[in-house]
Amino acid sequence: MRHCLTRALLASAGVAAVLSLAAVPAGGQARSYRAPRTTDGKPNLNGIWQALTEAHWDIEAHSAAPGAVLELGASNAIPGGLGIVEGQIPYTPQALAQKKENFANRLKLDPEIRCYLPGVPRAVYMPYPFQVIQTPTHIMVVHTFARAVRTIYMSDHKEAPADSWMGWSNGRWDGETLVVDSTGFLDSTWFDRAGNFHSDALHVVERFTATSPDHLAYEATIEDPKVFTRPWKISLPLYRRTERNAQLLEFNCIPFAEDLIYGHLRKEPAR
Amino acid sequence: MFNRLLLSTVLGGVLVAAFVAAGGGVSQAQTSQAKKWTVPRTPDGQPDLQGFWNNTTYTPLQRPTGVNKEFYTAEEAVEMINKAAAAEAEQTVPGTVEDVHYDFTQFGLDRSQAPLAQNLRTSLIVDPADGKLPPLTDEGRRRQTARAEARKRAGGPTDAVQNQSLSVRCILMDRNGPPMLAGAYNNNYQIVQAPGYVMILVEMLHGPRIIPIDGRAQLPPAIRQLEGSSRGRWEGDTLVVETTNFTDATGFQGSSENMRLTERFTRVDADTILYRFTVDDPSTWTRPWSAEVPWRKAVGPLFEHACHEGNYGLYNTLAGARAQDKREAEASASKPSK
Amino acid sequence: MRTTFAAAIAGAAILFAAAPTRAHHAFSAEFDISKPLKLQGTLRKWEMINPHSWFHVDVKMPDGTVVPWLIEGGSPNQLIRLGVTKNTLAVGTEFIIEGYQARDGTNKAVGRNFQFADGRTLFLGGSAPGAAGADKP
Repeated sequence: MRHCLTRALLASAGVAAVLSLAAVPAGGQARSYRAPRTTDGKPNLNGIWQALTEAHWDIEAHSAAPGAVLELGASNAIPGGLGIVEGQIPYTPQALAQKKENFANRLKLDPEIRCYLPGVPRAVYMPYPFQVIQTPTHIMVVHTFARAVRTIYMSDHKEAPADSWMGWSNGRWDGETLVVDSTGFLDSTWFDRAGNFHSDALHVVERFTATSPDHLAYEATIEDPKVFTRPWKISLPLYRRTERNAQLLEFNCIPFAEDLIYGHLRKEPAR
Repeated sequence: MFNRLLLSTVLGGVLVAAFVAAGGGVSQAQTSQAKKWTVPRTPDGQPDLQGFWNNTTYTPLQRPTGVNKEFYTAEEAVEMINKAAAAEAEQTVPGTVEDVHYDFTQFGLDRSQAPLAQNLRTSLIVDPADGKLPPLTDEGRRRQTARAEARKRAGGPTDAVQNQSLSVRCILMDRNGPPMLAGAYNNNYQIVQAPGYVMILVEMLHGPRIIPIDGRAQLPPAIRQLEGSSRGRWEGDTLVVETTNFTDATGFQGSSENMRLTERFTRVDADTILYRFTVDDPSTWTRPWSAEVPWRKAVGPLFEHACHEGNYGLYNTLAGARAQDKREAEASASKPSK
Repeated sequence: MRTTFAAAIAGAAILFAAAPTRAHHAFSAEFDISKPLKLQGTLRKWEMINPHSWFHVDVKMPDGTVVPWLIEGGSPNQLIRLGVTKNTLAVGTEFIIEGYQARDGTNKAVGRNFQFADGRTLFLGGSAPGAAGADKP
């Protein structure tokens, strides 16, 4: 009797092991994991998520390199990164020259330094948590950095009435995947700290797919005929922040950037 | 010349008709008498507060001097609103400070063009009964003096960006609070509910308030935030939100970082949320005080309010002050020395 | 000037809350009350941004040169709710703008009144879909 029970236990443990292996994405490809459902029957993406890459420094594959601020030494140096871009970013020749100039002048030009809204997709892979609050008609995505908010309209799709920093996002479900189609971007944001950039013709299509209770597979196709010779893709996993009581803390960074922006206009100039 | 007075009269007329037709206003006293209305539920069973809301009001926070009652009659309230709408729409006199501004009416931003919940109250403050802020404690008075002195030491408003208000710097506005109070325009909010959370997106500053309602503990006292830290729970059909952990810079009506704020949201009908808040700050006031303002259903969307990013006006103001300084310095340098 | 302004507003605030005055104060610090102007020009671009929108207007000078001006207007958010989009105002639209010039002496002004060449006031009187008051639910 005990022998049968042990074999049954071993068999079920084996099954359990197979199931948990199946839930882990291999090479970024989603297995057929079925996320728990919201009350309206859609995959439940609610929660606090965060990327774990070096893409916020440079979305392309890159080696370690010095930082731009002498006094910060190694703590602000650029770690090497495998990159999240499939291949290299297909810039036009003029745009590539612009990117190089952006990089050379990044201390003056990077909008992140001024606490400006990070845009899409940069907000997704900045090294801070973001929260998804999902309803049938609106999926809100709230980012830590500069408290950036994206509204994903799940119904009543409209065109962007005017251009904005975080764009205008229309979403729909494709089986297990949330597909978000965004346009209406200003040309003011960058993709990373390395000066990778876009124009106001930017068009981003993102795909969020749950691959386990605590993982999302994220892909984005980026298109901008004024800057790139063809569309290109990025992909990375997103991880659930599983700490009990995980939450976003307030990161209102405007006071931290004001002296940079306005300091030279002081009656007695800041040093 | 466009006749703004004519426009305000037409709009005022629309308000009068709507106000009188609705038979008065929503108030705490009347809520219990209101016909029984059942608030719909979200799919996970929360009372549904979702949608777009606007808390524009003509009612001042404190009861005006000379007014000794809690409620206006419907006719008095309408008259008050018409006067205010007419004053806002009135053409400013060229060469006056008020004239140095774009026209709110042209951009749909004056209060008469905002959705307006009916409110017969003479003040937003409902407690104390005189409709005024309670007296300051000794500590509150000392802090007020200290802050005024610090402002003086910092110099003129255009001497440094930090001498401008949090609002002009796009850091924090009255609509954000909390408590969330209307300003001149764009007093719009979007409420979104998901299991365990109520989120309020404030149009101004595109400011997110994420309020957990899962019973979790408050943040540790070492963490202070401009908008504090909020925890919500349902009491019947009322959302109760407690906020603590404010910074010393927040200063709502002179409050300290020890302020404990309790907000209550009750949807009293399809088009109205009754918003009530209590401020408890023994470091500042001798007793807690409460205020109430109805929110009216509004039309979305909330377009992005990227305020800091577009704050050219602040830059121009400071640059203008420095240009002025330079002109004055050159003028006095060219004068013959005594 | 601040004192004068405060007194003017206090008079209006007897029975009701005056519209918050902080924003007004910043404007009279940014633009010069002693430099009123009236410009006529064509629209190159309307930046529909916050906290205030900006109209890029090409002004033809008497000598025929074209000078670009930047004119400050209101937040576009309520107009967007009324159906105004980035396509509502065509490039080349002729404007007459009354306002005050920036204190820093640059070609910037606040537009206290924007009119089309035919005298219609911008965004009022049917010059935009859903004119004033239309968004009342």
